[in-house]
Amino acid sequence: MLETTALSVVWRHRALLWALTRRDIQNRYAGSVAGALWAFMHPLALLALYAVVFETVFKVKVPNLYMGQPYVLFIALALWPWMAFQEAVLRGTTAVQQNGALVKKVAFDHELLIYSSVLSCFAVHGVGFAVVLMVLGASGFNIHWLGLFSLLAFVPVLLLMALALALLLGALQVFVRDVEQLLSQVMSVIFYATPILFPMAIVPGWLAEAMHYNPLVHVIDPLRNAVLGQGSFDAESIARVALVSVIAFAVARAFFLRLSPYFEDMV
Amino acid sequence: MNDTLQPLIQLAGVGKSYPLVQKGGHQLAQVWSRLRGTEPSHVFKALQDISFDVYKGQSVGLVGVNGAGKSTLLKLIAGVVKPTAGRLERRGRIGALLELGAGFHPDYTGRDNIFLACALMGLSHADTQSRIDGILAFADIGEHIDQPLKHYSSGMVVRLGFAVATSVVPDVLITDEVLAVGDESFQKKCIVWMERFLDHGGTILLCSHSMYHIQKLCQKAAWIDKGQLRMWGDASDVTRSYLAWHEESARLDQNDALDQASLIADKSGVYHVKEMSLHWLAQDKSSVMQIDSEKELLEIQMGVDLSVRGRIFSPDGRVPQVTIGLVRADGTPVYGVVSEMDTHVLARGTDGLFGFQIDFHQLPLLPGRYVMRAHAMDPEGMRLFDHVERSFEITGEAREMGFCRLNHTWQSV
Repeated sequence: MLETTALSVVWRHRALLWALTRRDIQNRYAGSVAGALWAFMHPLALLALYAVVFETVFKVKVPNLYMGQPYVLFIALALWPWMAFQEAVLRGTTAVQQNGALVKKVAFDHELLIYSSVLSCFAVHGVGFAVVLMVLGASGFNIHWLGLFSLLAFVPVLLLMALALALLLGALQVFVRDVEQLLSQVMSVIFYATPILFPMAIVPGWLAEAMHYNPLVHVIDPLRNAVLGQGSFDAESIARVALVSVIAFAVARAFFLRLSPYFEDMV
Repeated sequence: MNDTLQPLIQLAGVGKSYPLVQKGGHQLAQVWSRLRGTEPSHVFKALQDISFDVYKGQSVGLVGVNGAGKSTLLKLIAGVVKPTAGRLERRGRIGALLELGAGFHPDYTGRDNIFLACALMGLSHADTQSRIDGILAFADIGEHIDQPLKHYSSGMVVRLGFAVATSVVPDVLITDEVLAVGDESFQKKCIVWMERFLDHGGTILLCSHSMYHIQKLCQKAAWIDKGQLRMWGDASDVTRSYLAWHEESARLDQNDALDQASLIADKSGVYHVKEMSLHWLAQDKSSVMQIDSEKELLEIQMGVDLSVRGRIFSPDGRVPQVTIGLVRADGTPVYGVVSEMDTHVLARGTDGLFGFQIDFHQLPLLPGRYVMRAHAMDPEGMRLFDHVERSFEITGEAREMGFCRLNHTWQSV
């Protein structure tokens, strides 16, 4: 193949990637009356629900370390990055299969299907995250706005992780349709193996040690801490997890490209 | 670089095999074998060992029965499918019209779909923007362009598809039976476009069941049969052979019925054709050519004088009649005549045999494969007993259509 790196493929076909991503986003709201307004209403509704359940009904307080921080803020900061990641992997997994008509009739780089579906999830939940942050900030919650700069490091790493998984599973899904079924089960396990509903600090030592093999731990927890103004930015840790993500992406892409000539046989 | 010498498309031993669907578990084995670069254990070979070159300005037509692998071959050349064997090289921009409107989404407006389809062809947003007026003008669907595609008639979708696909003029245009799309006036537009494309040195690769289209648009043709290249050459030669083969296989089915009547083992008690042969003067006038067995197939130049000669056996010594019939290789009747119609009486010979000869002057048959038949009949002309046939092929250059050349002249009026 002439195009060896993902970046050169993306750059050369940026118009197609943009069109596919746009289509993917439109797909969610196509035919609905409110259209793109849902992109704002959905996260707000979810936030309101969490606020009612955890603040009014359960009156949850985050244990000692985060004294004074409301639980709804605590959750929101981890939940939106998680939703972006989870949905990106799920949608990416079925992206090639769902675009079977295209794969069968048009010659193009199939990896763009994965990239566009992952990007569209990050875009939609990125907007949701921004809306939620603004609403929380306006409601007087104590947000460490400067901490948002750390997103510049965390989000690309999270994106790379999602891309790697989506490439791997998306290629596999074309041949083995069980992947999708299995994935939704595995995702709910990963949800609890990632510090979203709880801080890493309250996890008992032996379990924390096991959980450290989950790369998401090294992104979600520090990301939230940064925005809450807790702890310090651990550059070494993020560099390590970034390196792992880059390697994972390269391996997954090689796997995908190896199988992609045969997609047409199976979709 | 000399682009007339370098083929635009080069196929060398190209093959494509599809994995056969297997029950559970095998999919994982398939992934594993693909990763190692080996072929899965159970495959269907859709195409095998296809080799030919396509040069600039030399359009190619693919012929073959359904399921022969024509579409797979087009997909390979279009780059939608990768070959599993051999080498396939492509130069220049290749536009594929494998399915008009491929990649269109019913929920989006025509305009949105144009942008995606153009992006799939590798156009940037700005490129598309600069072409959109031309596309809209060609597709001619007016204000519907901002309506979702699902509200379009199928003709409108096809028009939009063609307009998008032809907005970038490719070096090679690959089409799969989509020449005649839409209504009359749009068809005319398409044909005008095609002709201009060809005039400007464009190359078409098309797959069609219409030999007329192939002969009109293509210089070369490839006959694909059961996944293999059965014949490659000039479009007129290939289409003629293909049609002859087609006609033959259609006639074989028909003959089964006739043969039931001829299967009488002992013919001594019935009227039958004892001998039959065709005679004509060779093209150089030096010798008389002859066909007298069923296995032979000789070529006869169009316009020669052709004689049919033979002898009929009569079991009771009464004078039999003979029917001479001419059919095309597929069994389509061309002409038939009974000796009695022309009040001709067969001449009595020895041993109960009656001879006949009928001369056809300046045979006006158009090139193709034909069969001459002789049938023995009883003196009353009521019963037809058997048939003996001789095949031949008429050669010559003729661009007319049909079976035979009718005498005609043109007048200025």
